[in-house]
Amino acid sequence: MDLGKSEEIKLLSKEKIFTVSEFLDFLNNFLTFREAIIQGEIGSKINSYPKYTFFNLLDKNGSILKCFTWNEAIEKLGIIFKEGMEIKVIGYPEIRKDKGELMFQVKRIELVGEGALKEQFEALKRKLFQEGYFDEKFKKPIPRFCEKIGLITSKFGKGAKQDFEKHLGKFGFQVFFYDVRVEGSMALNQIIEAIDYFNLNFPYLDILVLIRGGGDWESLKPFNSEEIVKAIRASKIPVLCGIGHDSDETLADFAADFSASTPTHAAKVISENWEIASIEINKFKENFNFLINKIFKNIKDNIIPFKENLTKRLEKEINSNHEKINNLMRILNLNFKDYFRRFESLESEFKNNFLNIKRLIKENKLKIKQSLEELIKGQNNWKREIEKILAQQKMKLDISNPNLKLKQGYSITKDEFGKIIKEPKNLKFDQKIITKFYKGQIISKVKKINN
Amino acid sequence: MTEEKFNFTEAYQEIEEINKWFQNDEIDLDKALKKYEKGMELIKKCNDRLKETENKFEEIKKKYEIKE
Repeated sequence: MDLGKSEEIKLLSKEKIFTVSEFLDFLNNFLTFREAIIQGEIGSKINSYPKYTFFNLLDKNGSILKCFTWNEAIEKLGIIFKEGMEIKVIGYPEIRKDKGELMFQVKRIELVGEGALKEQFEALKRKLFQEGYFDEKFKKPIPRFCEKIGLITSKFGKGAKQDFEKHLGKFGFQVFFYDVRVEGSMALNQIIEAIDYFNLNFPYLDILVLIRGGGDWESLKPFNSEEIVKAIRASKIPVLCGIGHDSDETLADFAADFSASTPTHAAKVISENWEIASIEINKFKENFNFLINKIFKNIKDNIIPFKENLTKRLEKEINSNHEKINNLMRILNLNFKDYFRRFESLESEFKNNFLNIKRLIKENKLKIKQSLEELIKGQNNWKREIEKILAQQKMKLDISNPNLKLKQGYSITKDEFGKIIKEPKNLKFDQKIITKFYKGQIISKVKKINN
Repeated sequence: MTEEKFNFTEAYQEIEEINKWFQNDEIDLDKALKKYEKGMELIKKCNDRLKETENKFEEIKKKYEIKE
């Protein structure tokens, strides 16, 4: 391919005459695809602007590479960017048309040398700590029994994967393995990709295990970057890190939900609870059998005395009730007898009363009879007396009878209204008057009044 | 087929809870029998699960790349 391209350039150069601008564009089209990693020392001339910086990268032979970088790449280093520092720049070359010079466009800067890396590590650790990335409160709990594991490591490596698998124990784990580089320039992106991949496609995993064997500072670099810390924190699946040896501490370890000292330790963290459970479960079984038998025994022990107690109490209760009933019956009998006695006395009393009444009636009858006789006798006397009075009265009446007077020659004069005239003072001249005789009457008129 | 729904963590937790329950002095026999039965059933399931000794490994990156 490369051979083909250089032939193409020859061909184009012969056929076409470029302007300067056209030629530089033509060259830049090729150069920008030539991404490279270049190691060197930062030169004295550093021109910093608010958003970008120009600097020179030097080597021992006195060669100079002019570099351009956005300040973001420098900030990510976490330490001050200064003259004399040994660094690696990752980027691509470009010819600046206005200056006619080659400018390396830096995409990423990495520190070189243990001292600088340690300084960077400490600075970055401080910064991320302050930003809360290592905060315990954000850490997700590691499930007690992990079954589905997402394993991120290298299948080549120095045996991290083998160590992990060997010590994982055989508890029927389902391990999804994502092969990544664990050092070098490819490592960081691949590890981040793996974390994202698992979160996106296997969100049901119990845990992500990120492991690699021991190494020097340089080789652990991907695990000491801000990017990996952010990727671990962003993972919804809990992340278990087991990086390097016991003494190695990386930023990935600080960010992880659980940090194991080595890949072997990471495996043990996962299998530990399973091992405990496999022993405990049989203990539980024994315990349950023991406890249930104990319960049965307890119940038996309690039931027998309870039964005896109950029988005694029941007997006592029955006896007491029996006695109560007898008492009641006695009282009832007594009351009943008493009642009868009272009834008998009442009956005899009643009989006596009846005889009394009978006697009374008889007496009264006799009295009435006597009274009646007396009355009849009295009545006869009274009748005779009345007859005598009546005869006397009749006699008196007979004497005063007017007819008798009329018979003797007397007469009675009345006015026209029938009123007897005893004196003439109220009479008027020529008034009609009626005079009655023993036999017959006359009507006359008043002619003269002599008072 | 019920094994599919079986969750070791939950089952184990339930066994522990049953064990704790049994430590209580005031125990109702009916409940105790039910709990005992449930506990033994869960123990059997957990034991079965623990006997599945082989781990399954799957290299998912390869699968993923083939798909792409």
